[in-house]
Amino acid sequence: MRVQPRQQLLEIWQAVVEHSYRDGEWQWGGRDGRNSISDAEQLLCVLGPATGIEQFALDSPERVADDVQAAMKPLGGVMDIPLTLLEAVEAYLTTYTDKNGTPIFAAESYFRGLPGEDIASLNPQQLAQPVVDSFAISLSLSLATIGFARQFRKSLKRRSSRSEIDRLEAMASKRLSAAMVGLLRSFTVNIFDVDSRDGRALCRTVNQRNLSTRRIVPMIQETLREIRASLRDVTMGSGAGVADELDHPDRLFECGWSWGVVRDAPAIITSQEVGDQLPGLAEPAPYIYFTTVALDAIEALFSTRTRQLGLLNEEQLRLAQGLQLRWDLTQSYWSKIAVPSGGGRWPLEDIPWQRTTEKESEYFSLHVSSIVVQDLVRKRAGDADLDRVGKVLEELANRSRINRRVFAGDQSYLLHAPGFPINLGGSDDQGGPQLTWMMSDFAPLLLKRTISLAGLLGDPQLRGRMLALADEIWSHLDSRRLLDDRRRGLWDQPGLVFEEYDNIFDAPSWYHTKRVVDCLITAAQVITEPPLRSDELAGFAGDLLSEAEHIYDQELLQGSPNGGHAMQMDLLALAAKLKRGRAIRDERPGTASALAIDVLLTLDRFAAARSDLDGES
Amino acid sequence: MLVFATSDKGGTGRSVTTSNVAYQSALAGNDVCYLDFDFGSPTAGSVFDVDSGRLGVRGGGLHSYLLGNVAEPHRIDVFAETERDSVKDRAYDAGRLILMPGDIGVGEFPSSPEQVRRCATLIKRLIVEFDICFVDLSAGRSYALQMALAAAKQLNGVKTRWLVYHRWTKQHVIAAAALVHGDHGILEAGEDLGFDREELLSSLRFVRTALVDPSRPGLTSQQAVWITEWDGKLQAIAQAEGAGPLWLLHTVPLDPVLQWREQLITAHDVNNIGIANERTADAFKRLSELLLDDKAWEVR
Repeated sequence: MRVQPRQQLLEIWQAVVEHSYRDGEWQWGGRDGRNSISDAEQLLCVLGPATGIEQFALDSPERVADDVQAAMKPLGGVMDIPLTLLEAVEAYLTTYTDKNGTPIFAAESYFRGLPGEDIASLNPQQLAQPVVDSFAISLSLSLATIGFARQFRKSLKRRSSRSEIDRLEAMASKRLSAAMVGLLRSFTVNIFDVDSRDGRALCRTVNQRNLSTRRIVPMIQETLREIRASLRDVTMGSGAGVADELDHPDRLFECGWSWGVVRDAPAIITSQEVGDQLPGLAEPAPYIYFTTVALDAIEALFSTRTRQLGLLNEEQLRLAQGLQLRWDLTQSYWSKIAVPSGGGRWPLEDIPWQRTTEKESEYFSLHVSSIVVQDLVRKRAGDADLDRVGKVLEELANRSRINRRVFAGDQSYLLHAPGFPINLGGSDDQGGPQLTWMMSDFAPLLLKRTISLAGLLGDPQLRGRMLALADEIWSHLDSRRLLDDRRRGLWDQPGLVFEEYDNIFDAPSWYHTKRVVDCLITAAQVITEPPLRSDELAGFAGDLLSEAEHIYDQELLQGSPNGGHAMQMDLLALAAKLKRGRAIRDERPGTASALAIDVLLTLDRFAAARSDLDGES
Repeated sequence: MLVFATSDKGGTGRSVTTSNVAYQSALAGNDVCYLDFDFGSPTAGSVFDVDSGRLGVRGGGLHSYLLGNVAEPHRIDVFAETERDSVKDRAYDAGRLILMPGDIGVGEFPSSPEQVRRCATLIKRLIVEFDICFVDLSAGRSYALQMALAAAKQLNGVKTRWLVYHRWTKQHVIAAAALVHGDHGILEAGEDLGFDREELLSSLRFVRTALVDPSRPGLTSQQAVWITEWDGKLQAIAQAEGAGPLWLLHTVPLDPVLQWREQLITAHDVNNIGIANERTADAFKRLSELLLDDKAWEVR
């Protein structure tokens, strides 16, 4: 892999710190100014790796590596770094809590208006609407913070320092509960008639074999039977109580997350302090982008880290269960629709993906692949299925001009910059124009999925192909870095890659930088796994070791140990190599073969010397 | 300010490090006094290269003073009497550097209340005269340590700091931590004398000496890998023993000059003849700054 997470991340950390910490103060805001998402992204650029990769841990001062410490030096020594970071988190939590103590999840400057319209001229109330992106990132930030704070607390001595950490942990925990409630209230099940626009679009997407509508509808309903049954278990929050309507034979449905708290979403009854649960505005229809974002974030709720460190309290565990149920349902739903069992071409392979709104884009294909990859991980799918998804990812890289040249008049690059807009239905319900959301994370998202897919593949050749693709996407991303002296290494300057894009940025975008950091975290996790084991190679190593051991034993039988000091030393070294070869044969068959070959060569020198007695040949 | 320097084992570089820190502190403009309380084997004269490199003085040194034989211990003005030109060469705004050597051939002696009183009286006087006084104690749970603790108890209101030196090995880490936290250690002995345990602990920091840098030239890759790995283990041990990052003031790298000839490291040694590493000199300078930096002494 040409992506070297440690070196790259340290470089990014240096740049993040240089940009974010000046004159003893944390400096907020990037290209899009401050908002609850951007600020969290900025913090996670550091806290993400620090809590996601063991080698980057900052919360145990005695375990901080020298190069890591050097990268974070502007923040101070090993004891100061965690304190400074936690202070910044505290400032974040305070800023995004209103005076009633309700956490704020507003997207503000991340919203876009109609083309040519200045977002600042809009009613602040409209911009203050909560967005799933903010719930999702708050989930990640809170979980990271709670674990980080708990670990660092152990290194503190003074009671007052410890109680300050406890207070911060409580604040983060509150935001975590509120974010979970937000996600429970943004989930939605959209039910539509077979004959409606949505119904026809869904049938078209699924129908890859030119079947008649009469046959395709019952097929879809059969595929989704289990999911329909499980939707009955959804009892709290939005998307509850729709099961009966689903049983109607003329109805189809889609489930996932809308862009914000959905219209008429009931309040969640919880014993946790989460502040006011304001009524939602979002149209109750799944948005594939926000669905992907939510799924990614929710996954962290039941990760090994969360369970081992016990980051959730009892009530949060209950809320997490509600989210896990939706996570399961949504993932299976999209996976069943996109990669149905049975023969023929997958709908996923029919690029670009068409939404039920009849909009189509490579972006949707990427999001669906993204969900499918997660589902394949869960199902421990075989290489054949993974490889098919891999081919889709390769094609997406081509089509989005990541590893193909942009030709004159080619518009495909617009997907990256300015990005792909989605209209936020319902955002204009209380006046003002309809808001849009600009998705421009195609390259980092594609890289992240490519790397996780590579990590799943068991076949060295297939894996090699995915890693080659990852390298191509990485080199594309790498050349999109801002070149400015001071902000070396941060993202995003698409103009460097796409000549026709003439917008020049001078401030970093935390939206992009955080997503690149996520890719590197994924890469680090894949690298941490032991190397692929090839059975063939293990067998080969075993045979080599047997031969080497046999010849070695012959050498001993011949009385070679009596051959003086040099000979004794050589034999001892050979014995050590053979022992090590046996020990690592199963884990690193390649290395074991190399050791055996080394032993064989040395032993052959003795044999050759002896054969001299038979006369030169 | 009063700084006590101690260590559990000999050979930790306690005297040579403290001398260098005192030297750097004087260069930074402080008036510095260095008291050689290493009664068993005074060495400071040799480190400072004064009095023909003798380890201590014959009569009239600190021992004689504490035993009541002389009214005032002998003083050596290091900048005036050193035999090294590069030590003499100093900026015009450097402070004074006064050495009070021990007596040769007297050895350790148990402290009596009278000696504790004399010790406290001396320090009380010096604290007024100097910005910072270094007291270099003998290794381990010595009589000198006992006397220092007892005298410190009588010096109410004097800002006092304790440095515990140890080399970066498992035995040294455990021993140094035990000298502080263990039976008859500094904290226990201090408590017996009426110190508040927590308060005493908060005025105490460890200094790691002779650290091998894995990126140092001359090491094989295997050695570098091993050092990094073992360093991680040592960090965990230090943390568990109560000598972790929270209680660490600073580290001093391994330097051949310090290993083979205990001496002051001057700018000349680093820049002109290159026998000492810049990082070593920087570490001493940093230590001298940290001693006066109250923020570094906050317990977190």
